[in-house]
Amino acid sequence: MIEFQNLKKVYESGGQQVAALDGIDLKINKGEIFGVIGFSGAGKSSLIRCVNWLEKPTSGKVIVSGHDLTALSVREIREVKRNIGMVFQHFNLLNSKTVFANVAMPLTLAKVPKDEIKKRVHELLEFVGLADKANSYPDQLSGGQKQRIGIARALATQPSILLCDEATSALDPQTTSSILQLLKKINKEYNITILIITHEMSVIREICDRVAVIEAGKIIEEGTVFNVFSSPKTPTAKNFVSTVMNDQIPDSIKQVIKKQQGLQKVFRINFVGNSAGQPLLSQVAKKFNIDFNVLFGNITELQGTPFGNLIVEFQGPDSEIRRAIQYISQEKVSIKEVTTRAS
Amino acid sequence: MLVNQEKIIEALIETVQMVAFSLLFSALIGLPLGILLVVTRKGHLLENTVVFNIINSIINIFRSVPFIILMVAIIPITRMIVGTSIGTAAAVVPLVFYAGPYIARLIENSLLEVDPGVIEAAEAMGATPGQIILKFLIPEALSSLVLGFTIATIGLVGASAMAGAVGGGGLGDLAITYGYQRFDTTVMLITVAILVVMVQGLQSFGNILSKKIRRR
Repeated sequence: MIEFQNLKKVYESGGQQVAALDGIDLKINKGEIFGVIGFSGAGKSSLIRCVNWLEKPTSGKVIVSGHDLTALSVREIREVKRNIGMVFQHFNLLNSKTVFANVAMPLTLAKVPKDEIKKRVHELLEFVGLADKANSYPDQLSGGQKQRIGIARALATQPSILLCDEATSALDPQTTSSILQLLKKINKEYNITILIITHEMSVIREICDRVAVIEAGKIIEEGTVFNVFSSPKTPTAKNFVSTVMNDQIPDSIKQVIKKQQGLQKVFRINFVGNSAGQPLLSQVAKKFNIDFNVLFGNITELQGTPFGNLIVEFQGPDSEIRRAIQYISQEKVSIKEVTTRAS
Repeated sequence: MLVNQEKIIEALIETVQMVAFSLLFSALIGLPLGILLVVTRKGHLLENTVVFNIINSIINIFRSVPFIILMVAIIPITRMIVGTSIGTAAAVVPLVFYAGPYIARLIENSLLEVDPGVIEAAEAMGATPGQIILKFLIPEALSSLVLGFTIATIGLVGASAMAGAVGGGGLGDLAITYGYQRFDTTVMLITVAILVVMVQGLQSFGNILSKKIRRR
């Protein structure tokens, strides 16, 4: 649906060349919700803006719905843009126009007949739950309501792609959640491909199917949300994951581990999917001559799959512990010894 | 008093004519120039450094010549357009040369205030540059544009009085020839009072209109 091929964007600033995008290769499939996460300045904004040509890449290709944008004329690109809706961080609504006129704008530009516009706009306002605000002005609305209008406007021309440029970053957590649910609904009901860029991992966790981590203009990690969250590889990805997955051992527990010296060993056990439902630890306790003590743990749901994280202390003879570990290290359960320093 | 009421009304009408016509023509020149100044600048819709620099310098040249000198300097042009350099119609030409570039700057200022995000949204929708100017830039800046035109109109009232002094007629002419040169304080006071009321009225009207557009 959207494909970037060796995409590069270089800015000149003060005689120096800065590569905002440094060879991006990425493919976003039809009907999925794809998230791109990165710190500010990582290049995520440049990336999303290349999809609808708000930014022209220095080299490389952008292929949208089979059209190679680099090969199209300005006029043809305008046509492609009608098939792409965009939602902005700061909504970018016209303050001089009513909610109705704002949502109608893309249709007006496309010279759609008036009665058709009227019907479509009311439909859209109904969909985003603001049918009663048609005659209000944007400055009479709350941030969440403005974003709903922004979304309605982006959907006006029935696009097959929706771009969300930090769409929830200016909103409070509760509003963010309701906007994300709306995006999910759009994805499900209209089968619209959604590309989201954000710096909030919670956004990715809540609605994305796949995610790419961008840093210094490069995609450093890419995969299903489940894989990236359960086993992030790069430090940046780990960092992002830790902002929403509380998998760090609390300091107080570290102190406890440090104080006790002797036979016990501390392990981190990660459960994935169905294995989270198995009575693994009690089986271990029955089979082997060891005691265990759960120090810390949590279970998070990712893409409808449970993901558990336990810090467990084993007490017993080394040989027994080794056998227990072997038993535990089955599919979808990973176990790793934890030292207090490098938790 | 050396003049009668009729003469004052006649002068008032001349002033209004001068201001109205020069406002009309300078708006016709200033509006497109102001829009061009915005859209041709770096990073904007129709970035074009050459066009921008040319318009920018021409406007600066006209804006740096004091009106009283501009008026005299362009007499040949005035003669070419109107056929004479004396009278109300002839005064309109230098007034347009004065107010046109001024209005272009005021419009430039107003349009630059428009949130770049709105223009970005327009571009994302696939709007053409023409559509962006007419359906996004101008409506979003309208309230501020009205205030700009108010300032320009008041500037023209002042300038028209100066034009009057060199044979353009109007309230300025009256004040100079009777009030100043013939020491008729009453005429002086009356013309000043009329001008004050006029400016107050224009400003209030502009404020109300601008506010109405903003809030609706």
